[in-house]
Parts: sequence; C-alpha cells; structure tokens
Amino acid sequence: MDVQKEVVAVVDRVLDLRGRGGALNASSRLLGHVPELDSMAVATLITSLEERFGFTIADDEIDGSAFQTVGTLVEFVNGKLSQ
Amino acid sequence: MRYSARGDAKGSLLFVPPFAEEMNKSRRMVALQSRALADRGFSVLQLDLYGCGDSDGDFGEAVWSQWRDDVVEAARWWRAQSGHAPILWSLRAGCLLACEAASATRGERFIFWQPQPAGSQALQQFLRLRVAQQAFGSSAHARAGTQDLRAALVRGEALEVAGYVLAPGLALGLDAANLSLPAHAARVAWVEIVPDADTAVRPVAQKLVGDWRNSGVDATLHSVQGPAFWQTQEIAESQALIDATVGIVAGSSQ
Repeated sequence: MDVQKEVVAVVDRVLDLRGRGGALNASSRLLGHVPELDSMAVATLITSLEERFGFTIADDEIDGSAFQTVGTLVEFVNGKLSQ
Repeated sequence: MRYSARGDAKGSLLFVPPFAEEMNKSRRMVALQSRALADRGFSVLQLDLYGCGDSDGDFGEAVWSQWRDDVVEAARWWRAQSGHAPILWSLRAGCLLACEAASATRGERFIFWQPQPAGSQALQQFLRLRVAQQAFGSSAHARAGTQDLRAALVRGEALEVAGYVLAPGLALGLDAANLSLPAHAARVAWVEIVPDADTAVRPVAQKLVGDWRNSGVDATLHSVQGPAFWQTQEIAESQALIDATVGIVAGSSQ
C-alpha cells in the first residue's frame, strides 16, 4: 500500500480539494497553510484516517505535530500501522 | 417540511435527521432526494427534532427520549395523513433514533444511509470535535480528553461542542443507542456511500445485514459511489445516491 497516496486521497476528500490534493507532496504544509483545515476538519480527518486504515487514534495522540505537513502525517500513519 | 407526491401517493417516507452539524450539511441532499421521491409518487415528511431546524426549543434543551418521542409522534401523524405506513428513512445517527422509535410504532420498513452502528461511536466522534478544538483551535477550554468529557456528562454537566450545547440527557441517550431493529421489522435497505470503486463497504455493514437476514428480515446492502456529503467542507450532492434510493423505494412498494 502506498501510504502517502492514500493519505493524500483522504486529505483531498475531507478538505474537498477536488483533486488539488494531487499536487501535494511530503513537504507540503498543512496546518496553518491550508485554510480548509480547521479544527472541525481535523476531527473529520482523524475519523476518516481511522476508517481508511483500520486503527484507532487516542485523544492524547491528537496534537499539532502530526498535522504540520503531508510528510509528518504519513509518518504518523506509518507509526500507527506498525503498532 | 413536507413533499407531496405527484398524483396519487404510492407510499410515504419519514426522514429522521442525523446529529448536529451533519443535519445542516445533509439538508440539501435530503431535499433533493425528497423531491425526486415526490416526483415518483412518494410523499415525504422531513422531521425537525426538538431544538433543531425550524422546531421549537434550543438544542441544549434537547434530550434523546424526547427526540425518540418526536419520531414516534411524527410517524403516527404521517401514517394518518398520508394513508400509508411510512418507510423510516434516516442518515448516520438518525438511524439509531429510527430504530428506537420503531419499537413504539408499527414501522416495518427502513432505509439507512451510512448508518452509525453504535451511538457510543457517534458520541465519541462528536466529543472529538472539542478535543480537536482544544488542540488546534483558539478554544479557551482546558485540555480534556473524550474520557474526561464523558465523565462530565455523567456528572450531569452540559458541554459546549462545536457551537452546540450538549445536554447530558441527549449525550447519554445517544451513547446507549444501538442499531437494533424492532422484532416486527420486515425490510431494510442499508446504503453505504463509498468515495471510489476501490473502497469496500464497512465490515460492520456486511455483518449486521447478514445477521438481519438470518433472523428473517428482507435486508439488502447497497454500495453507491459519492461524497460524504454529511461531513464535506462544501455542501455536496450525489445523483447516484438519489437514483439508487428512488430505485429502492419504488422496488419496495410493489
């Protein structure tokens, strides 16, 4: 599974970027740079990642560091998948 | 809101809305679906629960048992008005409410759009909005996890989540709700909305539909590609879902 591609697809869908997500790469900044990514969208994104990848994200894992860039988010998902 | 069938009504539906913001986001799709059904000869009543939409009261005063009673009363009224036993049509957490209400009405037929199988999960996702607000937003709330928030509800404290005041009587009722059909349920269509052809329906959908079939219910599982319109940032539509649902309703009235 290409985790980055899957993560980008979930981000694109949740934020309704309508394919603009295709231009995202690992260094693309998310939090504070993508206006659609408000706290409501973060909550939806977390739920969508759980559903897509089949893991559960605990409250204390929800913090800003994972949502800085596409790369940090992919790293976070990879970490969850290897648990 | 009421949509009258064109010509003699072949049947009727009662729509039970989803929870909080999901209700607002889905309003357009529900209206489009209702019109499409009315064009095909089915009358639709769209229910506003206490504290939601055009109904009386504040969301913060709403309690789960009152919502259930709202659905029961609306189903009885609509049956008398429309002359048909209404199909209970619902989305997400609305499906939980439809199940609870149906044990008090004679509701036998259901259409579930992307149901939430457990109220506890629905509550968890809603409380997470506040956790995310604390972590990312300009929230003045002290950082508390969903367990702390649940504990506060059990102590009888109302919570503010994503602009809604959530009363314990609503949250705890939702928390305890399950997608279990009443004994007299006859026909259920479960519609999963998936983003693309590669995404399978949720395993829970397969499981519950299988269980219902084993207990003698005419249960079907449908998968439709389209946006998750109840949560997308922009208001979204799915013609495929509208067409599939019209097909299900038209088929079940024969």
